[in-house]
Order: sequence, then structure tokens, then C-alpha cells
Amino acid sequence: MTEQHLKIIHKIIWLRLAQIAVNNRYKKGDFNVPIHLAMGHESIAIAVDSVMNKTDCLFLTHRNIHYNLGRMGTLKEDLDEYYLRDSGLAQGHLGSMNLSNKDKNIIYSSSILGNNLAVGSGFALGNKINNPQGVVFISTGDGAIEEGVFYESLLFLKSNNLPSIIIVENNEWSLGTRIHERRANIDLKKLTSSFDIEYLLLEGNDPFEYLNHLKLLRSNAELNKTPVVVEVKLTTFGFWRLKNADYPEGKFVNYHAGPAQDLQVKEYPLIGSSFDDPLYVLKNYLSIYELKKIAVDLREQIMEEIS
Amino acid sequence: MKYVQYVNTVIKEQLSANSNIVLYGQNIDAGSSLSGLTRGFKVNEGFIINTQNSENLLVGVGFGLMLNNISSVFFMKQMDFLLLGIDHLVNTYNIIRQTNPNASFTVFPVTVDSGFEGPQSALNNFDDFCSIAGVEGYSFTNKQDTQCIISKFLFKPGFRILSTGQKLLREEVLDLKVEYKDPNCKFFQYNKGNNATIICFNQSLKYGIELRDLMLKKSLTSSLFSINSHLNADYEYIFQDISLTRNLIIIDDTKSKNRLSNTFLTEVLSKCSINRYKIVYREPQINDYFPREDSLEIDYKGVINEIFIKI
Repeated sequence: MTEQHLKIIHKIIWLRLAQIAVNNRYKKGDFNVPIHLAMGHESIAIAVDSVMNKTDCLFLTHRNIHYNLGRMGTLKEDLDEYYLRDSGLAQGHLGSMNLSNKDKNIIYSSSILGNNLAVGSGFALGNKINNPQGVVFISTGDGAIEEGVFYESLLFLKSNNLPSIIIVENNEWSLGTRIHERRANIDLKKLTSSFDIEYLLLEGNDPFEYLNHLKLLRSNAELNKTPVVVEVKLTTFGFWRLKNADYPEGKFVNYHAGPAQDLQVKEYPLIGSSFDDPLYVLKNYLSIYELKKIAVDLREQIMEEIS
Repeated sequence: MKYVQYVNTVIKEQLSANSNIVLYGQNIDAGSSLSGLTRGFKVNEGFIINTQNSENLLVGVGFGLMLNNISSVFFMKQMDFLLLGIDHLVNTYNIIRQTNPNASFTVFPVTVDSGFEGPQSALNNFDDFCSIAGVEGYSFTNKQDTQCIISKFLFKPGFRILSTGQKLLREEVLDLKVEYKDPNCKFFQYNKGNNATIICFNQSLKYGIELRDLMLKKSLTSSLFSINSHLNADYEYIFQDISLTRNLIIIDDTKSKNRLSNTFLTEVLSKCSINRYKIVYREPQINDYFPREDSLEIDYKGVINEIFIKI
């Protein structure tokens, strides 16, 4: 276990705890702005944060808390932004769904599906003049790839030789419908292959595996002046079960936004009990005793920061 | 000189005065180069890109370039295409406008107004694009306003839309004597008279000129204005003129139902004491949806009679 590995483990656990702290206040009705929590997305967010160079930039969607917090490493300014306070990260001018942070190279976030792909593509074109070493990371989802602008962006990035990494966070859901409930399957590997764009599927939430792959992809994007597409299979935690006369066993309701009401976490803030949960995967690297100790320290640190 | 050559020349002057810019759009450096509008462009550092056909993406690209401090112009063959970029005109611009950008982004569509292109290529609703998110927009029709608007706005930091009419581009450049120019190029005055004030909106200056000339034959002099800005402006200078002539004729050839001229009239009625006014605008007709010549039918004699019959 290197120091860098340990740092990444700390970051993942901190990011989960920070989101839980946001959720606890959200449950109390503290926020007017809609927040899209991303518990379950921690590994990809921290891997992206770790692989980004100083010259790289990030373009996000409405579900951006994991990247914003992950790159900040502190909670208070984000929290104040959600409260729409002057002390917020964007002085309360952006709220949650459009939150960006230029100091951390998060240039733009959009709540409109696919919108950030176009703006990120333009920024990448500008890099040809301003910042030839920079790679543009654009986060999107399995819902946004249904928009025409996803196709348009891939074509533009490839046609203009723009170093970029498109991260498709595939949690299978768009609001209340699963992929198979709303559309035919999209084979991203075939689609990207038709543009001669490299594609990689990441699953299993191992942050170190993700980081190694992303390093190679970033290098390819920069050296060969090309976009690459990474699809990440993940689970967005916070779902709950609706129990009534029609569904005595409980009906699964996907988490999209808002407070995750049923979330119960213990000392070590594990939510899932499989590789779906990035915190479960960390058990491959440290004992549960060690992980709990880290979590206790980090929770204290967070409470101290925001109390 | 054809108007298209003149506009092309004025743009080229601005290109040579600026560097690190991106000019892009479909066929801007290929084929007819948008019927000559973008022919022979060169940039001092930067790019000229013949793009793919993806207007939604391409409007977003301009904003992305702006965030990267690169100024750009997106040339577009016809204004209808901009409908595909409305998400960015509204949603992206709502964020960009908070950032006080140092770079500029100009969308430069041609207003296709011959009418013969048919029902799907005849949009001249510039007012709608500007009002939807408070986007600055300027149209121009002649040598004088073209020079002023393009040199002032093409690379001014911030975002705007600039447009002129396709029909005019094919004609000889209109060279007019300017009586008064708003310092921000929001409107121009081409004539000063005593009997009426004629205000032209959108691409309707040619109708105003015709009316002015017909009135003159009846020994009636008019003040003639063209409103170039498609967002409401400070019209105090015009109000003073209207207060003197006390007769107002508004001509607006837009197909929009959200006319800037209506806002203008409301302001006039609340601020000026006038004898009579007449608004000439486009009545919806079935021909609007057929490939027919696009022309604002004006009964000039009737307009003059309505205003002056009792004088």
C-alpha cells in the first residue's frame, strides 16, 4: 500500500461521509435547491480527480457533487452554496445543478442533458490555441447519450482531433425508468468504433484499477489528439422500497435526487454489501478495523469543519 | 458593389484587426462560401473551420470557446438553423452571462427572406431569439449601419447575434445619408422631417424609404428611423422627434408575434403626446407557408390618408 493508495482510500471514504453529512441536513429540510447525491459514484470521481493534470479541465452534469467535493476535499463552501449563502463556492449564484469551480478546473456544469458535451467540445477546441497539453474530461450519463448532441460531440471531437475523455456514468436509470424500459440498447463500443474512437468499460468500482486505466486513456487522448469514451457501470445509492397494499413486499424506487430518506449507515459508512459499493471494494486493501478507524477520524474532521 | 461584397469587406477589416479567433460554420470556406458572405476570410492565429451539420452542438461550442477565452463567430446560412441551438441561447447563456467573459461569441445567421425557399426556410423572427433570454441582437441593412454594427460588435466581449437579409445581400449596397446615429448603434436616423416619424423594425427600412419618398411627393416630410437592436433600448432621442411631428408610423416585417415594435409603441404612448399613429405589420396569411415571394404588402396611400386625411 503506497502513500498515494492510502490517500485515495481516504478520499473515497471522506467523499461518502461528506455526502452523508449533506444528506443528513437535506433530510431535515435545510436546502431549497435540488441536490443529486452520488453515493456509489465515489471511485470514478476520485480516479478522475487523481488522473487529471493541472492543464486538464472538467465539464459536469447536474449530478456533480462527487466531482465537486472530490476535487475540493472540503465541504463547507459546497454546503454554503447549497444554502445559497454569499460564503458559498459560487456566492450562492449557481446552487447545486450548475455548480462549477474554476480554481479546481471544473469549468462548467449543466442541468440540461447533453448540454455540457457541446460546451466541453468548444473548450477543447479552444485548447488547441490556448493549452495544447490539456485534456478535457466531460462527464455524462446513460440518459444523456440518448440526446443527439452526444453523437454530434463525438463527431466534432474526433473531426477536430481534440484530446478529451467522455465519461459515461451508466447507473441504468433516467429518473424512474431503467434503460430497458425506455429504449433499445446502445452498444457504445460499436458506436464509438464507428468513429474510430477508443472505448473502455469500467466496472467493479476498484479505484486503483480505474486510475490505471484512466492514466493510459489520458495518455492516448493527449498523444494522439483524440477523444476516448469510458463507460462506467455503477449504482446510485439512496433507493428505497414503497410498501403499500399493492406492494406488500415493497416496490423498488430508484434514487434520482433529493434526500435519501432511508439511508442508514454505521461506523464504516457502507451502503451496499457488494462491489456495487466503492466502500465495499476498499475491504480488498485494508481491514475493516483500519477502514473504520479512518472513517471515524474523517467523520470527526467533517463535523469540525461544518459545525 | 453588391451588399454581400460590402458586408464581406467590413468583416475582413475586423478579422485583420483581431487575433486568436475561430470562425466556423458549414461551408464557410468551401463552395460558394455562403454566397460570398464568408469568401476569402483569413485569421491572424486561430482557425477557420468548415464544420459538420450540428447546430445545437455548434452554438454550445462557441460558448465553450468563450470560457477558454477564445473569441469566435459562428456563420450560419439561414436563421432557421439557429432554432436547433436554443438550449444554448437560453440555458448556457444564463450561466455564461454571470462570468463577464473577456472573449466574444457572435452568431451570424442570414435572415432568409426571399420566401421562395418554402415554409421551412423563411423564418425572420429575430425578435424571438433575442427576447427568449435577453440576448443582444442587431440587424443591419445598409452601408452605414453595417459598418457601425460589425466593427462595434463582431468581436466585442460577450455574446450576441448579428444578421442581415438574404434579399438585400444580393442587391447593390444601400448608401444612405445618416442624420443621427445612436452611440451604441441601436438605431439610426436617415431623414429629418416635420409631418410624421417613420420607425422601421427588422428588415423593413426599404418600405420606410418608399413611404418617405411617396410622402415627399405630397409635400409631407418625415423623420425616418431604423431600429437595429432587437432588444428594447433607450429611445429618448426618437421620442423627442415623435413629440415634434406628433404623427407616428411603425413598419415591422417580422413574422414574430412577439414584436419589439409593440413594446416600442407602448412606451411611445406612455411618454409622447401624439395625434395619430399607424402600425403596419404582417398579417398572417396562408402564403406564408407556401413558396411565394416574401413581401410586406403595404397600402402606402391608405397609410398616408389615415395619418393626414384631416390635415
